[in-house]
Amino acid sequence: MSITVAARGVPASTASRAGGVRHVYRVERRKLAAQTAIRLLALVCALGPFLFVGILKIQSGSPSDTLYGVWVHSSGFAVSLVLLAFAGSWGLPLIAGIVAGDVFSSEDRYGTWKTVLTRGAGRRELFLGKLLAAVTFVVALVALTAACSLLAGVLVVGDQRLVSLSGTLFGAGHALALVVAAWAWCLVPTLAFTGLAVLLSVATRNGIVGVIGPGLATLVMQLLILVGTGVWAHQLLVAGAFGAWRPLLRAQPYYGPMLAGLGVSALWCAGCLSAAWLILRRRDVAGAPVARRQGWLVAVRTVAVLGALVALFAVAGNWGRAGVTAGRLEATLTPEFNNLTILQQQELGRPVPPGAKLNILPGCSRRGSTPSGPGDWVCTMNVIVPQAGAVPFQQTPVTYDVSVQPDGCFKAQSPPAFIGQQLMRDAAGHDVVNPLYTIYGCLNVLR
Amino acid sequence: MGGVAVVDARGLGKQYERTCALHGVDLRVEAGEVRGLLGANGAGKTTLLRILLGLVRPDAGRVELFGRPLSSGDPGALAAVAGFVEEPSFYPYLSGRVNLELLAELDGGGPPARIDDALARVGLAHRARDRVSGYSTGMRQRLGIAACLLRAPRLLLLDEPTSGLDPAGVREVQALVRELAAGGVAVVLSSHQIGEVEDVCDSYTVLRRGEVAWDGAAGELRAQAPASAYRLATSDDARALAVAEGVPGVTAVASGDGALAVSAQLGGLDELVLALGSRGVAVRRLELLVSPLEAMFFALTSEQPAAGAGEPRAAEVSTR
Repeated sequence: MSITVAARGVPASTASRAGGVRHVYRVERRKLAAQTAIRLLALVCALGPFLFVGILKIQSGSPSDTLYGVWVHSSGFAVSLVLLAFAGSWGLPLIAGIVAGDVFSSEDRYGTWKTVLTRGAGRRELFLGKLLAAVTFVVALVALTAACSLLAGVLVVGDQRLVSLSGTLFGAGHALALVVAAWAWCLVPTLAFTGLAVLLSVATRNGIVGVIGPGLATLVMQLLILVGTGVWAHQLLVAGAFGAWRPLLRAQPYYGPMLAGLGVSALWCAGCLSAAWLILRRRDVAGAPVARRQGWLVAVRTVAVLGALVALFAVAGNWGRAGVTAGRLEATLTPEFNNLTILQQQELGRPVPPGAKLNILPGCSRRGSTPSGPGDWVCTMNVIVPQAGAVPFQQTPVTYDVSVQPDGCFKAQSPPAFIGQQLMRDAAGHDVVNPLYTIYGCLNVLR
Repeated sequence: MGGVAVVDARGLGKQYERTCALHGVDLRVEAGEVRGLLGANGAGKTTLLRILLGLVRPDAGRVELFGRPLSSGDPGALAAVAGFVEEPSFYPYLSGRVNLELLAELDGGGPPARIDDALARVGLAHRARDRVSGYSTGMRQRLGIAACLLRAPRLLLLDEPTSGLDPAGVREVQALVRELAAGGVAVVLSSHQIGEVEDVCDSYTVLRRGEVAWDGAAGELRAQAPASAYRLATSDDARALAVAEGVPGVTAVASGDGALAVSAQLGGLDELVLALGSRGVAVRRLELLVSPLEAMFFALTSEQPAAGAGEPRAAEVSTR
């Protein structure tokens, strides 16, 4: 065997191509695919939805606090949406963290920066190649979770029609398209968290911080979203964008939250990746180790800045107008209640003329000191039914306890005394979900 | 020497916070030359190699590789350079072969046979499919050298490449280096032990506290080297001391451990041994304690203040 010695003359043009982004991307893809954590994550993404549906199947209850939770036994599409709601809370940021949070710091841990930087690739190519590989895996894992959740839901529960957030019904094809669109939307904030994971991985050189950082950031943002009644500061918290798909499930969807989420996610992504690149470009990967005191100083400064940011957002949570008002809640809940009442009557086998409309006199008030904003509300739907006799109409009040989230989505529940039990017997003698028992909906707080 | 040098570094300086790692260092290496980069720990050898590998930018001075300035904006100058600093590092959860495949991909890919060749050359073919996490230090050194060979380098920069290798491994690496040099590859080997590289180097650059303490051909270093030090055990040390006094160029003193400490060139030592035999004094043991090059190395790299950076310092170590 012999070693081939390169011909005389330095091949400059070849050198610049040798370690291009494409080559780095291939290398990083292989490295990620070989990691045990990534393989385990893929297994969880593939089997998790089936496990979830299996657990639902063997128990009678349902996660009714989560949007569409009450419908998980009625439509397979609702199963996928409930899983998406859970995933948006912590699962998708965790996927971003596990995939991207150690992509750069692993080179520090294994001491391989000097190995890779003495090959054909420069820092720019390494940064872009690693980033693209991480994005590829994040997208693939989210797609895998989405596909498996849909498959599990449809196989185990079925492809029945889905009740919209306006009280109407979506056919199976329409529901499938909306569920796919909802999962696809969640890629946007997930990629923003991928950018955050990359920044943490580069800046801290610590894989643990990079992996759990996005999850922790989500938790902090979700707590901040709960603080205050204003609208605008909450829009800047990218974790809130995970719920922006929900208005798609209305009969008349609105897209303001998605547009705001797109802008904020793009800003987060650009900010995190720019900072990560600046840090990586200036890093002395083979120089003297950073002094211990200096490392602590950086950590203290970072914590102080983050603490100040959290405090600022907590204060800013009250800035701006309140998006949730009695008028908006009444305007949203009333037609939905109307539609769901008609749906209930149809399921009970009672004849309902097409386009039927109830006479409803709504009244909503917020519990607590302030008259507007998210939180606990009480809404009464006074149904006015004409009748013969001295009194020309009969008024039937139906009272709902409504829990409204800062993004305007709500869950309304009424005591069984008003609308019956959660399950009712339909015209065919089957036990079905009483559509009026729990009402999910969304109102546009940005309007 | 004429033509374009493979390495032409002038006045290199590097400062790490308050530590001066390099100051005014010059280095010139020609094609086919094996240059030993010597110095005690912290002398600046690794910093110099980092600069030549493009990992660190010097604060002062300039470097040309193959006649092209080494700067961050020109990857061409480093295209034919391979090497490693400190210990070679790999991804421990991957096999040795996969590590090499990835590094080859970073260089633009190439036929898989090159990887097999490189693994065979360093004697790792039988462990190629094992995870690197199970490799010994010596095996990682071998894998590091294999990774360098993949680039078909014209300049090879190796930081203590025989560290962790058994004697047979050291000989194999030395033979490999000589073979590469014979093919026109310039090799820079760093070491803090001259004994590890003296059989393979054509020339040396000795660093002390970030400055060049000596620079020149191996022959010059040997010529300037002081006498060797030996430990001599005889049947009659008192008579042996008396005999040694009469042999020119030989200095002998009682070492206190039942033997004599003798300082002599090879010719003087021969005379002493013959004289002892003729006077009826038996030589029971004769050990080389410090070779001439080692003695020179110790003198050059000792922590005594330098008289002037970059000047030959043979006078300082002359014992005669």
